[in-house]
Amino acid sequence: MKPLEIIRKKRAEAINRIIAKGYLSSKRVYVGMATCEIAAGSKEVMEVFQDAVKSGLSDVYLSQKGCAGRCNLEPTVEVVEEGRIPLKYGLVTKEKAKEIIERHLKKGEVIKEWLIK
Amino acid sequence: MPKRFNITLCDGPSCMHKNSKEIVAAIEAQLKKHELSDHVGINLSGCLGMCARGPVMIINPGYSIYGDFTEKDIPEIIEQHIKKNKPIARFIIDEDHLYNRFFRVFGDVNFFGKQMRIALRNCGIIDPENIDDYISLRGYEALAKVLTDIAPEKVIGQIKKSGLRGRGGAGFPTGIKWELTAREKSDEKFVICNADEGDPGAFMDRSAIEGDPHTIVEGMAIAGYAIGAQKGIVYIRAEYPLAVKRIKKAIADARKEGFLGQNILGTGFSFDIEVRLGAGAFVCGEETALMLSIEGHRGMPRPRPPFPSVSGLFGRPTLINNVETLANIPVIILDGAQWFSSLGTEKSKGTKVFALAGKIKNTGLVEVPMGTTLRQIIYNIGGGIPGDKQFKAVQTGGPSGGCLSEEYLDTKIDYESLAAAGSIMGSGGMIVIDEDSCMVNIAKFFLEFTQNESCGKCTPCREGTKRMLEILTRITEGKGSQEDIDKLLRLGNMIKKASLCGLGQSAPNPVLSTIKNFRAEYEEHVRDKRCRAGVCRHLLVYEITDKCVGCSACKKACPAEAISGALKQKHLIDVNKCVKCGACFKICKFGAIKKS
Amino acid sequence: MITIHINDKAYQVENDQTIMQAADKLGFHIPRLCYHPKLSIEGACRVCIVEVVGMRNYVASCAYPVSEGMKIYTNSEEIRRARRDIVELILDNHPEDCHTCERDGNCELQRLAFAMGIRKRHFEGEKKHYEKDLSSTSVIRDPNKCILCGRCVRICSEIQKVNALGYAHRGFKTVVMPAYNMPFKDSVCTTCGQCINVCPTAAFVEKNFTQELFGKLGDRSLIKVAQIAPSVRAAIGEAFALEPGRQFEKELVAALRKLGFDHVFDTQFSADLTIMEEASEFLERFQGRGKLPMITSCSSAWMKCLEQFHPDLIENVSTCKSPMSMASALIKSYFADKIKADPKKILSVAFMCCTAKKYEASRPELMVEGIQSTDMVITTRELAWMIKSAGIDLLHIKGEEFDHPLGYSSGAGTIFGVTGGVMEAAIRTAYELYTGETLLDIEIQEIRGLKGVKEGKLVIDGKEIRIAVAHGLGNANEILNTVRKDPERYHFVEIMGCPGGCIGGGGQPYAGSNSMPLDEECLMKRAEALYGLDRNKTIRRSHENPDVQRLYKEFLGRPLGPMSHKLLHTHYKAKEPRGIIPSELTVK
Repeated sequence: MKPLEIIRKKRAEAINRIIAKGYLSSKRVYVGMATCEIAAGSKEVMEVFQDAVKSGLSDVYLSQKGCAGRCNLEPTVEVVEEGRIPLKYGLVTKEKAKEIIERHLKKGEVIKEWLIK
Repeated sequence: MPKRFNITLCDGPSCMHKNSKEIVAAIEAQLKKHELSDHVGINLSGCLGMCARGPVMIINPGYSIYGDFTEKDIPEIIEQHIKKNKPIARFIIDEDHLYNRFFRVFGDVNFFGKQMRIALRNCGIIDPENIDDYISLRGYEALAKVLTDIAPEKVIGQIKKSGLRGRGGAGFPTGIKWELTAREKSDEKFVICNADEGDPGAFMDRSAIEGDPHTIVEGMAIAGYAIGAQKGIVYIRAEYPLAVKRIKKAIADARKEGFLGQNILGTGFSFDIEVRLGAGAFVCGEETALMLSIEGHRGMPRPRPPFPSVSGLFGRPTLINNVETLANIPVIILDGAQWFSSLGTEKSKGTKVFALAGKIKNTGLVEVPMGTTLRQIIYNIGGGIPGDKQFKAVQTGGPSGGCLSEEYLDTKIDYESLAAAGSIMGSGGMIVIDEDSCMVNIAKFFLEFTQNESCGKCTPCREGTKRMLEILTRITEGKGSQEDIDKLLRLGNMIKKASLCGLGQSAPNPVLSTIKNFRAEYEEHVRDKRCRAGVCRHLLVYEITDKCVGCSACKKACPAEAISGALKQKHLIDVNKCVKCGACFKICKFGAIKKS
Repeated sequence: MITIHINDKAYQVENDQTIMQAADKLGFHIPRLCYHPKLSIEGACRVCIVEVVGMRNYVASCAYPVSEGMKIYTNSEEIRRARRDIVELILDNHPEDCHTCERDGNCELQRLAFAMGIRKRHFEGEKKHYEKDLSSTSVIRDPNKCILCGRCVRICSEIQKVNALGYAHRGFKTVVMPAYNMPFKDSVCTTCGQCINVCPTAAFVEKNFTQELFGKLGDRSLIKVAQIAPSVRAAIGEAFALEPGRQFEKELVAALRKLGFDHVFDTQFSADLTIMEEASEFLERFQGRGKLPMITSCSSAWMKCLEQFHPDLIENVSTCKSPMSMASALIKSYFADKIKADPKKILSVAFMCCTAKKYEASRPELMVEGIQSTDMVITTRELAWMIKSAGIDLLHIKGEEFDHPLGYSSGAGTIFGVTGGVMEAAIRTAYELYTGETLLDIEIQEIRGLKGVKEGKLVIDGKEIRIAVAHGLGNANEILNTVRKDPERYHFVEIMGCPGGCIGGGGQPYAGSNSMPLDEECLMKRAEALYGLDRNKTIRRSHENPDVQRLYKEFLGRPLGPMSHKLLHTHYKAKEPRGIIPSELTVK
C-alpha cells in the first residue's frame, strides 16, 4: 500500500474513533486548555463540564483545545451546535460554566452577554 | 440517537446571498422525506472563505466540501451522499485549503475574520492530545504525499518556490536552508525545531505547540525526508511544561501510528524525534548557541561560517527551523507552493503570527497575511487603544526590535518594510505603547533585558550594552547630557555592526529606533529634565495646590520629611528634600498634589 | 589562488584561509586579542573586525574566510573607531592598576590600548568586582583582570583537556571560574599554568614567592641552596627582551650567587640521576618484574592529572621522583651530611620553568625525614624579575660554573627540558645497561619535534622496544587511551604536561610584543638551545656522569637500592576530584 492510501485509511479510522466518542452529539463543547487558558482558570472550568458529563449531561461532546489567541478573554469555551454559527464564551468562570450547562446546554438558551462578539 | 452525518453550511454573507436559507429548507425537507432527520445534524458556520464557489457546505465525516450547487441539487446530494454514502464528485471542491478550516468551526468572526490562519490552522480547533483529531483534519497527509511520490529535491523545490522564509526572526529563505543542508554529504544529519522562544511577551511558539503539536512533528519529518536526516530534536524551554508534555505525547503517538521511527509508512524512510529541554537562556534561541546547549555545553554563539548546514550539531550538517516555519510546511505540501506564494508581498510570502500585547483592547495571537499593515492589526483586529488614549508607538520584534511611531502605522508587515522602518519582524512580538509610556524608559526596559540575557562572550554586547544602559539610566534620572545621546548612537551603531550574534547585533535597536523616532523625548529628558509621560520618577516635580486643606496626611506619608505646614493650613513640599516617591500624591484625598 | 582587495589594493592569496591569515602573510597585522593560532576560533573580543564590502556588519577576520573578489578594509576611519571603542569598552571594565600590576609592560591589553590610540575615555561606568582566588599552590586567579577572551578556557579544555575552567553567569556578570566556583585548589586544575601563558592580562598569574625569598636570602642563619631546571636557562633571555634561543646557563649560576645563594646546583645533575633510576626501573619491568608500559613521572602537572583522571594507570607510572625532588632530597641528606649541616637550616630553592612544581613541592609524599625537601619553587618569570629587581646585569655578567657535588650534568640531563628528552636520555643509558655496549647514534630524531604524539622503535639486544612520547595533557590522554585499549602496544611512554615539554612550561617568560604565547617557532628555538648544550658536551650519557657515579659509590649504593628507594622514589594514589564534580557533591 502506498503511504497516501495508508493515510486515507488511517484518516477514516480516526474519524470513526472520533465519532465513536460522540463527536456527532448535538452539541460540542470545547474548553481552551493551553497554558495561558489554564493560568486564567480553564482547568476549573473544564472540571465543571467533566462533572456535568459524568453526572448525566448527555448528547454533548466535550473536548479540550489549544489556545486560539484570545488572550484577554480567556478562559474560552466554544459551543458548536446544530443550526447555529459556533458560539464562543469568553472569561468563563466556574460559576459561568455551571450556568452555561444549565441554560445553554440543557435548555438551549444562549447567554448572549457572555459571548465574544 | 447517534447521528451518522453532519452538514455544515457556510453562513457567510456571500453564501447567504446565494440563498442559503432556501438550501437549509431543502435539506431539511429531503431528510424528512428519507426519514433521515434524526441521523443528520445541521450546522451553520462563519464564512468558510470559499465565497467564489458558494454556496458551500461540508458533509462530515469525510470533510466533503460541496460548492456551486443550488437547492435543486439537494435531493440528489441527500440521496447519493447521505443515503448511499457516495459523495458526488462534480460538486466537490478539492481546493480544500487547510487554512480555511478555521472559519468552518469558529464563530468570533470579528477577530478571526480578518486573519488568515495557516501555521495556527488547528490551534483552538482540535484536541492537541488526540492524534485522531489531527489525522481527521488531513494530518500527516502531507508526509504521506511526499513519501508516496515526491522526491526529496522536489520537496525542497516546492519549499523554495513557496517563498517561505524563516519565522524565527532573520527571515532566511527556508528552501535554501534545506537545500544547503541536503547538499552536504554525511552519514548523520539533524533537523532541529527551535522552540526556545524567549522574547518577553511572545508566546507564539508555545501556543502553536500546545495547540497543534503534530504539525511540528509532521513538518520535521518532511524536512528530515527532504534533507536526508534520520534524527530530529525539538529544543524547547523547560518553562513550557505543557508544551513539552504535548510535544512528547505527539511524538509518542506519531511513533505508534508509524509516522515516526523505522520504515515510516512502509517506505524505508526512518526518522525519529527527541525532545531536549533548555534552561531558558534567551541566547539559546541563537542557532549556534542552541546547538552547543544540546551538546551539553554552555549556550554561547560561535562565529559562522561554518554554518550549521555544513557543521552543526555534533559537527554534522544540521537544519534548524523555528516552530512557526515548520507549522507551515504541511500546508505548503498539500495546498501547493504556488498558492502559498500568492499570499503576502513580493519578498515575504504567506502569513505571520504575532503576539499582540500592551495597550490594546484585544490582546492575543493573530495570524495575518504578510503585507497587512500595522494599522490593520492594531485597529481592526486589536480593536485599538483602550481608554481613548493616544497611540504612541508600536514595538515589533521583541527586545531586538524597534519602536515605530504613528507615521509608520501604514507600514506593511514584511521583512524588508519593517527593517526599512527601523524595526524588525523578529519572531513576532508586537507591543502597543500609548501616551502613558516614556520612550526612553521603554528603550531602557528592553536594553535591561538584553543586557541581562547577553551570554557575555563578545565585548560589544557584554560591555557595550552595559554602558548604554548606564547612559539611559542617567538620562531617565535627569543626569543626562546632550552628549549622552550621541554616545548612545555611537555605541549602538558599533554594537549593531560588531557583535558576534544576532542578540548583540539587534540589542541596540530599541534605543536607536526610539532616538530616531522619538528624539524629542530624549531631548526633553536631557535639556528640560522633563518626562512628558510622567514615568521617569526622578524628573517629576510634586507641588501642593490651593486645594490643600491642611489635613497633613501627606506630611505623615512623606518618607523624606520634605513636607511642612501647620494643621489646616496649606502644606509645602521642599523640592530639595523630595525623593519623588509619590507617596503624598497617592495619599491625598483632595487631589491637591500636582505631579508634573 | 584568488584575488582579494585589502584597503583598495589587489592581492593574490591562497583560498581556504581566513582574512586574518591572508592579511598576516601580506604584512597587515590586524589587531587581535582572543585569537590564538593553537586554539579554536572564539570570535569573542571583536577587536579583529574588518569591513567587507557587501556585508551588513563588520566581520571578525579571525573567523571569516576569504573569497574571490572580496573587498576588505582593515583600517578605515569607521573600523578604526569601532575597534578603538571596543578596546575602550574592555578597559572600562578593567582595574587599570597598570603601574602596580604583575604584567605591567607585558600586557597584551596595554599594548593594544596604546596601539588603538585610546587617549580619551567616553564610556566609563561600573566595574566588576570579585575576590581573588589565592587558594592554589601555583596559580592565582583574579577575575577582575579578566577580559573574557576565553583563551584560558580553551587551552584548558582543548590542549590540556582538563576542563578546569568555564564561564559562569551572563552578560556583564560573566566570569571565568572553576566548576561551582570552588577554590582553585579543590578544582581539577593540574596547576600546569598554561592559562597564565595564554592570558593576555594578569587574570592568571603564578603564586609569587619572590618577596619571601628575598627575605630569606637575607637570613644569615640559613644555608641557601639553589637548583636550576634546564628549561630556565633556555628561555630566561626572552624576559630580557632577547630573541628566543639563547641559553644563559653559566650566567644564571653567577646571577644566583649574586642574589645570595651559597650553593648553586643543577637540576640536570639529578636528571642524570633520574635516568639511572628510571632506566633501571624500566629494565626491571621489561624483564618481567613490573607492569608495562612504563610511563614517566617527571612532570608534576601530569602527576596530578594521573591521580585525578587516570588512577587505573598508577601502576604503570615510574616511581621515580622528578629530578627537582631527587635533587632536593639529596640536598637535605647527602649534601647536608657533606657540609655537616642541619637539614632544617638548609633553604632549598628550585628555579623551575613550571608552576606545577610549586604544587609538587607541597606534596607530603615527597617529605624527607619529616621535612619538606623543596622549600620554595621560583619560576623563570619570577627569577627574571628578581634578577632585574636586585640590579643584576644578566646580559653582561661573567659566567660561572655549578657547584659540586650536585652540579655536573651530562647532555642527557640537559635535554630533559624538551618533549622526548627524558625518553631519549633513558634510552641512551638503558641501552648500555642492558647490552653492555655503548649506543652510538644517540640523537633519536623520531621522538624529537613538536608533533603531539610521537612513536618510535628501537632494538636492544635483538628485542624490539616500542616507545611513545606525548606533550600536553590532551595528547597524553590520547596515548593513555591507546594504552588502555592495547597494553602491548608500547613498552615505554614519556608524558610531559606542557606543550613542548618543560620549555613550554607555565612559568616561562611571557611572549614579547612580536610573538604569541606557545608560538611553535619560539618553542623550537628554546629546544634548540638545549640540544645545542647537549651537543657541546663531551659526556652525553647519564651513567657516564662522574658525580653521579661518585654519588652511588659514596651514598646510594646502587640504582633501585634501599637508599634510592628511601630518597628517590615515591608513590601515587587516586585522588578526588576525578571529574568536574567535587567529591562532596558526588552522589554516593
